[in-house]
Amino acid sequence: MKRRDFVTRIIVAGSALSMGVSCGRKIEGDQQETPAPLSEATEPQRTITEPAREIPVIAETDVLVIGGGPAGVAAAIAASRAGAETYLVERYNHLGGLWTGGLVLPLLSTHAVDKQKRRKQVIYGLGGEMAQRLFDMEMAIHEVNPIIDPEAGKYILDEMIVESGVKMLYHSWGVNAIMEGNTIKGVFIESKSGRQAVLAKVVIDCTGDGDVFHWAGDSYETMNYHIGLVHRLGNIDRIDKNKPGYKKMPLGQPTPIPSVNWVNMHGLNDQDGIDMQNLSQLQLQYRKEIWESVERIKKVPGHENVFLLDTASQMGVRMSRIVEGEYKLTLEDTMTFKQFDDVIGISGAWTSMLYKGNKVLAYERPLWQIPYRSLLPKKTENLLVAGRCFCFEQALVEDTRIIGTCLITGHGAGAAAAIAANDRVTVREIDRQKLRKTLEEQNVWFG
Amino acid sequence: MNLTKPKYIRRVSTVVAVLLALPLQLGIFTGLYMWLSPFAMLNSLFLLKSMVWLNILGWSILLVSFFRNRWFCRYMCPVGLGCDSFSKWGKHSRAFVKKIPRLGRWLALLSLAAALTGIPFFILLDPLSVFNGFFAAFASDISLAVIVSFIGLPVLLIIHLFLPGIWCGKLCPLGGLFDELSTWRKWIAKTLLKKKNISTEQNVGRRMFIASGTGLLAGVFIPSLLHAERKQFFRPPASLRGNLFNTLCVRCGSCIKACPSDIIIHHSGKKNLTAWMTPEISFENKGYCLEDCNLCGTVCPTGSISPFTLNAKKKLFIGSINIRLEDCLLSDFKECDRCKSVCSYDAIQIVASQNIMMKPLADLNKCVGCGACAAVCPTETISMIPLKKTTSSEEVSQNTYEFF
Repeated sequence: MKRRDFVTRIIVAGSALSMGVSCGRKIEGDQQETPAPLSEATEPQRTITEPAREIPVIAETDVLVIGGGPAGVAAAIAASRAGAETYLVERYNHLGGLWTGGLVLPLLSTHAVDKQKRRKQVIYGLGGEMAQRLFDMEMAIHEVNPIIDPEAGKYILDEMIVESGVKMLYHSWGVNAIMEGNTIKGVFIESKSGRQAVLAKVVIDCTGDGDVFHWAGDSYETMNYHIGLVHRLGNIDRIDKNKPGYKKMPLGQPTPIPSVNWVNMHGLNDQDGIDMQNLSQLQLQYRKEIWESVERIKKVPGHENVFLLDTASQMGVRMSRIVEGEYKLTLEDTMTFKQFDDVIGISGAWTSMLYKGNKVLAYERPLWQIPYRSLLPKKTENLLVAGRCFCFEQALVEDTRIIGTCLITGHGAGAAAAIAANDRVTVREIDRQKLRKTLEEQNVWFG
Repeated sequence: MNLTKPKYIRRVSTVVAVLLALPLQLGIFTGLYMWLSPFAMLNSLFLLKSMVWLNILGWSILLVSFFRNRWFCRYMCPVGLGCDSFSKWGKHSRAFVKKIPRLGRWLALLSLAAALTGIPFFILLDPLSVFNGFFAAFASDISLAVIVSFIGLPVLLIIHLFLPGIWCGKLCPLGGLFDELSTWRKWIAKTLLKKKNISTEQNVGRRMFIASGTGLLAGVFIPSLLHAERKQFFRPPASLRGNLFNTLCVRCGSCIKACPSDIIIHHSGKKNLTAWMTPEISFENKGYCLEDCNLCGTVCPTGSISPFTLNAKKKLFIGSINIRLEDCLLSDFKECDRCKSVCSYDAIQIVASQNIMMKPLADLNKCVGCGACAAVCPTETISMIPLKKTTSSEEVSQNTYEFF
């Protein structure tokens, strides 16, 4: 008995010693690494002072729209139809911006799901009118998220601008804001005619990159994102599928013209869209890659007749500056049918999302309201921001940068600018009821 | 109703136990009752040699029971209440049961000793584990594994109709642990305080010797027998690897109840029989392991899933990613970057694959296999695959646990 007791105690003591119990078995992560300080933006070494000069004022108007993309065209037409004298400045030789010249042909997110879970069209107003005109010309296909023909798009936008009596200038760049304290009074523009000034009661920034609020000194965030270059292929209908050695190749998506496909390019990520050095570099690289890609397609049996129809007139910058507005639209707002008193329009969704851990498919996504406050920059008076640079959180980028949403924000901004000019108040002070009424008269859908 | 005080306490605690055992989303309170079992706590402690603050619950029960033998059984144990009630209804004589030796304390000692060297034997016989197993069935689809788990409690109760008191008095390892403790207390009183008049059972030393010796040896040898290669499946983050998980997990279902995205399910035992009813992650219903959640680790009473910080999720691998480019929208020149945009671990990049064609590329060192990308993917391009590498129990201390 003695020996067994002894052995037992040895076992117990040994076990106790071997335990070495520690309190807390929580697995900790690494300490957060402090990010390396960003290198200072490289300023040019040498600077030179531009002499002061007298600038001719070529126009004095109620509403000045800088940028003739989907947002700019919608803004100009809406303002003009609401009774304001409107002036539009566009840098290229066509209207529609990335939608037409940029070959981003789908008018995305025309549809979304309402509270009764019915999927319905949400984009009416000017966007709906443009789409309808294109459908009437048989220059748009697909009822949901229609794909348009770019030249037809340019044509009907010209037509609508002329019909609504908007004065406009092609081939001219906005280059600086004319400020009086915090109030914007107009914009300097530059073209072959030299530097000129356009004065206005209200300026709408539809530059996409937010050039105007940048000049005006408003605060904004910048977002680097994918930049691509879209191109179109011709002779798609002449591909011979029966040829020996034929292989199915990725050839993009069909357009209203049966022989033409448009080919999207996602492009490289984390690209700065307002760094022209970078943009030029990408332009060179992408054009070369597109050419090589088409050459490769042509070598595949059956594809001999396919050719590169065109590349886009501008780089597909998806996102750059985002203004700090009076209200930051959030992903949650778009997922929860958030109601705003100052709603200017409703947009839809085209891509699936994860929201609170759940997958929300593109065709299940709710429609969402855009408040007028999101178009108002915090600091500058009498400036409105429409298009992809209005105020939203970055998680929402996929829904705010697309053509449909740009048309909605442009329409709202245009109507608001006209009301401010007509009522002689600042854009911050306009009657929101009147804005809603004006937009309803212009066929904007509010659910 | 005229309830005497102990009965009243028992009924209240049973109701609480049922509430906590039901598959309700109670966040951190999920499965709190399981934490009260000192038997499960000690098994986990002996095996993992580490504790968490919630173990205070188990320790306090242990402390109280040290001075008041079977206090827990009398007032709190829901299985105890059930067994007693059924014993009364059965109205059978206790004469036969009285002849049965008290196996519970043997089971307890054997299990704890085996836990010390590698494998806790009878942790599944913990009454709270049996109790929870019954309710766990309500959270699952019916399978053989669920039925096995489900019938534990009813069978126990029905046995009591014929053999009253057999579980609590003779078999329950938790009760056995309490009995053993009380014997030790008497032994301490006798040896240290020299109180000769207290009678202790003669076989304290022998039981310790045989049970713990067998247990220690079993703990050393049995794990090596279980090391067969089996089909891999997904485990919650910070899970113990391999068979160690299966032996330590009490199948209480707390992690399954706690998981806010409902991706943890009971393993059916099809891929690995010893893993029946243990938690398995299923990406079938398009959920994913949320980047800001560590509930499964927090609620696990045994440490099968270790507690972890949110920051640690970056290196707690659940699975790996598989990308089939032929289905990817980018391969068709369509616009999509969903997988990249939802990745909380910065593991997916969209890069050029061939000139202008882009493709998603995953960094396997960063991808923990949370499944967010697979959940959001509009096509069937991305799927999650179990980790290929099997980690033996010896590597566990280095890989899954960090001692402080």
